[in-house]
Order: sequence, then C-alpha cells, then structure tokens
Amino acid sequence: MFGPRVEGRNGVALLPSTVEHFKLHPVWEAQPEVGRFWGPRFGDLTEVHQEEHFKKVAADQTQIQWTIAYQEEPVGFTGIFDIDWVRRDGESGIFIGRHDLFGKGIASEAVRLRTDFAWREMRLHRVHNWIALANRGSRRANEKSGYKQMGVYRKSFFRSGEWYDEWLGEAYPHTFPDPR
Amino acid sequence: MGLGGTIRGKKTTLRLPAEADLDTYNSWMADMRVRRAHRMWHEPAMPATWKERLTETAKDKTDVLWSIAADSRIVGLAAGRFWSVTQLGFSLRQFVIDPQEWRKGYGFDAALALHRYLFDYIDLPRVGVELRADNVAALRIAERLGYVEYARGHEVHYRDGGYVDETQLFMDKDAWRDRWGATEREYAPLASDATR
Repeated sequence: MFGPRVEGRNGVALLPSTVEHFKLHPVWEAQPEVGRFWGPRFGDLTEVHQEEHFKKVAADQTQIQWTIAYQEEPVGFTGIFDIDWVRRDGESGIFIGRHDLFGKGIASEAVRLRTDFAWREMRLHRVHNWIALANRGSRRANEKSGYKQMGVYRKSFFRSGEWYDEWLGEAYPHTFPDPR
Repeated sequence: MGLGGTIRGKKTTLRLPAEADLDTYNSWMADMRVRRAHRMWHEPAMPATWKERLTETAKDKTDVLWSIAADSRIVGLAAGRFWSVTQLGFSLRQFVIDPQEWRKGYGFDAALALHRYLFDYIDLPRVGVELRADNVAALRIAERLGYVEYARGHEVHYRDGGYVDETQLFMDKDAWRDRWGATEREYAPLASDATR
C-alpha cells in the first residue's frame, strides 16, 4: 500500500507514489553515484517491470511506501516493509535517488516523517533496519529519529577492495525524540 | 530452486517434500509448542491451501523447502532462502522438529547435515539464522554448530501476552572448517587417478 501525503519541514514531503514515480527508480538505481551502499546496478530495470512492481506494492498489505518529494519534485522513496501485524514490527528503508541533493537533510526529514507516522498512525511497536556502517549520512538520519544500534554485521559485502560492515538499528515509540 | 533434494544425516534425512507431508505440516503449525518456539512458515489452513503453498514454493527462485525424515516417518521441516548472485549466503528461516520427537537428537543431526550441504557442497561463505532468545534448544544447536551472535533485537516476537527478544546469528565457512571440516564431507576426496 502507499502512504498518504505527509507534509514535512524545509520543502520535504512524503507522497503516495504513482507509477510515474516508480519509473524513476531504475533510472536512479543505475547510477554509480548512488550505488556505493546500494546495488547491484543490474536487473530488470524496464518500465514494464516497474508498472508490475507498482501494482504489487499497491496491493501488498505488509508494506507502506512513499515517494520522497523535495520542493514538489520526486527525489527518492522510503517505506516500511515486511510488516508483521501481530508483532507490529517492520523493516524500514530509504533511498535518495538524486545524488546532487545529498547533504541537504532530505533523508533526515523523510525518516522523521516516516517514523512519526509509524507510531502515531500505524500503531507499530518497533521498526528496524540495516544500513551500511560507513553510510554515516543514512545512519545519522535514522539515529536522529530514535533508531539505536542493536548489532553490527561484519563483512557484509565487498566493494572496491574493501569489506563493508552493516549497522543494525531498531526504534520504538519511546525512542522517538520529536518534541513537536 | 524450490524443493530440496536428499541430504543424509546419521539419524535423519532431509528429503523432497511431498503432498503426503502437508497434513503433518498443518498439525505442526497449529501446535502451540511449535508456535511458541518458531516463526510460522504458514498459518494452519485447508488441504487445498497447503497444496497451493507447496506448488508456489516449488516455483520459488530463492526459497528451498525440505521435509526431515527419521526411520521412514516425517519428523520435521526446514526452509530457507538463498541470498543473491552478488551476495552469497543462506538464511535458515524455519527449522521445525515435531514436538513428539524432541530430545532425540534429530534437530542437531538434521542441522549438521544441512550445514554440511550448505558449506561443503554448495560452498557458501555464510549462513544466518534468527532465533527467539528464549529458544534454548535451538540456541544450543546453533552454538554447537559454530554460530555467533551479531545482533539482538529487543521485544521482537509477541506471544503469551508479551514480547520476547530475538537473537541474530551467523556462521561462516571458516567456522565450519575449523569445527567440522575434518569430519564432515558430502563426498570422499576424489581418487588420485580420477581425472586421468
């Protein structure tokens, strides 16, 4: 399913995704600038596949997904996936496809909006995620919304001659710091 | 991938699942002892639904399912997922032994055989598993095999009116070699003249 429009700060908003937004995903994902902590930069990157994928996501009751907009332009996506409605737990993820906009705080605001929505509207109990340990921007964005480290997975993937570890985080309503 | 072929242990055999196993799967998924210990593979359902599930699993490109047999009767099931072409590994997602057959060593025997297949035959670098932190029997098997914890999720699984933690573990090929490499092989070494 897709989440509703959620207005944020500094020109950031979460929007219910459209099929046109989904067609941007392979264009973003194919670029080396966004691939350091994301991969593998191959696969079925066709528009037809994205149309099918869009329908599957729309029908799937175990995930919620948004397009991230910055100044009304789609720049990435975020969501909570594999939601278990008994445990009230899900795995979150975020992707900023416009590398020219890295460092503007867009991910931090999107994570804040997503996490707030998880507690206030979905009544989730816990959200968890995996982030490359070296991806300090993404890790920091999640930590600002209350994610705490629950472990580190060593040597998760090998890229450009180096092993990359992954940081495992978890968040709860009581760890969310937003004062409102 | 889909349905797993034969892997022989000493007491147990992991084998191709059959439609005749599905009633037993259903009874395990409805057993509160199993439900307390594990994440469910599927909820209890009508026979036709189980047949559909088996058909879907058989077609799956990454998931594999085995039935576990001992003395010609089914005593458990194992299911997991191979990761991807760019990240080789396997997540053991379900490993169920019939509660009537607990404490007979079937769990460890089948787990050891499965890991021999994954490390010695498939040549994977790493295998992972997530266990409820109070599942002492499963944790003991994992520790004996060579798993180590890399993360602990707090208040992850809900049952009996409360949450229980989850421990996330992995085992790599070095651990397999160190602990089991000298004694556990799928096949004997090739004869010196085998390639002449």
